[in-house]
Amino acid sequence: MTLIATRPDPGDARPYTFPDLQRVTVAGGTVIGAHLPGQALASAMLLLDAGAARESAGREGTATVLAKSLEEGTAERDSAAYAIALESLGAELSPGVDWDTFRVGVSAPVPQLLDAVRLAAEATRTPRLDPADVNRVRDDEVTALRMDWAQPGPRADAALRADLFGAAERFGRPMHGDPASVAAVEVDDVLAFHQAWFRRPGVLLVAGDLETLDLAALGEAAFAGTGGEPLAAEPPLGVPVRAERRIILVDRPGSVQSTLRIGHRAPERATPDYVAMTLAATVLGGAFTSRLNHLIREVKGYTYGIRGSYAMSRRFGRFEVAAGVQTAVTVPAIVDTLGEIARTEEFGVTEDELAVARSWRAGQLSVEMQTPGSIVGALSTLVVHGLPDDYYATLRRQYLETSLAEVSAAAAAHLRSQGLTLVVEGDAAVIRDELVAAKIGEVVDSEI
Amino acid sequence: MTSPSAPVVATGYPWPIETTRLDNGLRVVVSEDRTAPVVCVNLWYDVGSRHEPVGQTGFAHLFEHLMFEGSQHVAKTEHMRLVQGNGGSLNATTNPDRTNYFETMPAEHLELALWLEADRMGGLVPALTQETLDNQREVVKNERRQRYENVPYGDAWLRLLALLYPEGHPYHHATIGSMEDLNAASLETFKAFHQQYYAPNNAVLTVAGDASPAEVFALAEKYFGLLEPVASIPPAPSAHLPGPATSPVRETVTAAVPAPRLYLSHRTHQFGTAGYDAITVLAAVLGNGRGSRLYQRLADGARIAQPDYIGSYGVDLAHAPAPLIITATAKDGVSVETLEEGLSEVIASLVTEPVTPEELSRAKALLTTAWWRQVSTVGGRADTLSRYATQFGDAAAAGYRLPQWLAVTADDVTEAAAYALKPESRVTLTYLPESNGESA
Repeated sequence: MTLIATRPDPGDARPYTFPDLQRVTVAGGTVIGAHLPGQALASAMLLLDAGAARESAGREGTATVLAKSLEEGTAERDSAAYAIALESLGAELSPGVDWDTFRVGVSAPVPQLLDAVRLAAEATRTPRLDPADVNRVRDDEVTALRMDWAQPGPRADAALRADLFGAAERFGRPMHGDPASVAAVEVDDVLAFHQAWFRRPGVLLVAGDLETLDLAALGEAAFAGTGGEPLAAEPPLGVPVRAERRIILVDRPGSVQSTLRIGHRAPERATPDYVAMTLAATVLGGAFTSRLNHLIREVKGYTYGIRGSYAMSRRFGRFEVAAGVQTAVTVPAIVDTLGEIARTEEFGVTEDELAVARSWRAGQLSVEMQTPGSIVGALSTLVVHGLPDDYYATLRRQYLETSLAEVSAAAAAHLRSQGLTLVVEGDAAVIRDELVAAKIGEVVDSEI
Repeated sequence: MTSPSAPVVATGYPWPIETTRLDNGLRVVVSEDRTAPVVCVNLWYDVGSRHEPVGQTGFAHLFEHLMFEGSQHVAKTEHMRLVQGNGGSLNATTNPDRTNYFETMPAEHLELALWLEADRMGGLVPALTQETLDNQREVVKNERRQRYENVPYGDAWLRLLALLYPEGHPYHHATIGSMEDLNAASLETFKAFHQQYYAPNNAVLTVAGDASPAEVFALAEKYFGLLEPVASIPPAPSAHLPGPATSPVRETVTAAVPAPRLYLSHRTHQFGTAGYDAITVLAAVLGNGRGSRLYQRLADGARIAQPDYIGSYGVDLAHAPAPLIITATAKDGVSVETLEEGLSEVIASLVTEPVTPEELSRAKALLTTAWWRQVSTVGGRADTLSRYATQFGDAAAAGYRLPQWLAVTADDVTEAAAYALKPESRVTLTYLPESNGESA
């Protein structure tokens, strides 16, 4: 015998630690720093309460155009000089918008971080926003969105979002807008968005070697020239769910796969069921051994991968299953997917499955939080959702201690297999008749 | 604002490295770091798609999938369940040069990871079934559809390889393989593949993170030490090439793409050589970031290229001159001819307009950040050490790469451009939309 037959037992568990946090209040804003001794790189992120939700109707994508305009020159230097100054530090700016926030991230070797944050603040607080540049960036963004929308996925995402949240509502439109809404963005929209939402200090998040980094100096750089009080939070949107299932067909002629986006609305991030819901979704569609991936990929071979999860922001959430399946097996793949969602809703999860989900989620809090970038991301979750500094240790304990009954109850309460919207983006001429005949739900054609 | 002076870096790998070799030939590398309670186990097998004979393209990668489907003491589906069910992250990848497997675990599960890796190194064949092969063949065919066939420009890499490397060269075909060959894959072929290449003397095991060398060496001996070496592992087909191509090649694809796009590519030098270090710096000067020549002159200056889709990069292959790929997508109303002319001029400028000190220091600063990002996780470190041990026989050689990039001079870049980027050695792959005015 050349192999050891017996699986080894684990060694002694190491205590879980999240980096030590320091808070500094300076120049009207707050800096939160996480200490990562020995890392050559450091990351910083300026977090502004200026999410996509603040855009005007019909002008979705305004914040994205602003994000892409920040590097087109500042009050101090033109775009070429800015790019060379920043990149000569080894830094690149990553401005971006999500539903809740506008984020300007920057990473650099530790000794260069202060200069990099100064440049990030210069672009964020005093961008030139020359009208000709903003118009050009807007046109480029329309083109970039058309490029993106030629891939499978974005149209299906937009169709699902419109059905769940209402095409007339901001949350029912794509987070970064669509080609038409971005084309409608005017220079004044971009200027007004900057004027209205970029003048408060916001919060600066820093992860790196705090024995070398000066949090107060970083904060002074980030908050110079700002003022104003934090904005009041707005209430959650509620969780209406369809009375009957509906299939939305998005035609993609010649497509060799059908792109599936199947979902319904769910509670916002602050829900007390957050941990139990996450564990239930991990069993259903999160882990590699999840019910969905096991059946649809490992048993049936219909797909390269299938995932199911809850995504939750400050005001709303949604449950979604996403996959690309071979065109010829579109209907069987959907039927099997619905079966696993319904089974999980009705009968909950098993202790064996839950054990995997608990340990995986808990372990990931160490395994996936090694870098300055990932720690800054973790800090942003604390700020956006008002969570305490010891949150990750608490979360880890909750993952390990939440009971089978709680997880199954969360699956029953927050999976709604009869109220799902099923978006199928594929070759309609090939799959339509079979979809209709399957009687899964009314089949309608998307106008996207 | 201070201007950064040229960085002085003695090593790109400031963590300890200890190595040993078991009697069966398995090389073991350990890099201890107690900062976080996590450990990565990484294995490089010196087998990739360059080893595949005609008619068996895609086999090395399909085999990689089979390695997750159970082995002598690990039931089907148990591998994934044991790693994720103990908090870990795992994956594997195959490229032309090699196949790697890795899992990052909470440190108390180090021994489990080693046990799992040993069991599939030494005991895969008894667990391999026709049912598993048939299932994973379908999964891989769906991977091919999802990543290469169902996305605009998705087959560019497949086409470039065939244009860059002659018929019969080990890099001529892509790792994902052809549908025909995948359909023809037989169980016996895979059993033979494993017995041939998945041998301790054809692998490097690296452990990075919260574990000591003594502990890892003892566990490696315990779990891998009794595996038999394979006596004569056949080398890959010869990858020798005399140098850059001597006549240009063009291919034009009319397809369901949203805009005209160009890929210009050249064979350069092998990864790991001084010549390729110069190409790496050249690629950053030319096409990395908004301060690069391509961005400044074509996206920002002439405004003929879409700013989100312009750049250049090397593909770090080690067994034959590696490709440099330069790509740009036309802005609305710009012809592909205009775009190609612009790209050609900027490429030619690398010879006619010497790289300035500012361009060189910008490129090196970006490469420095990229290097430190790569080694910022135990997983990135373990993979880097496995690479250098496999390809250069010395894990510690990983520490030289960053200093060698930083030592590249403007003259080195000019020389590399003059050698490798001649128009007569260029592969030009052009994508054109099927019809004008097609909407998304």
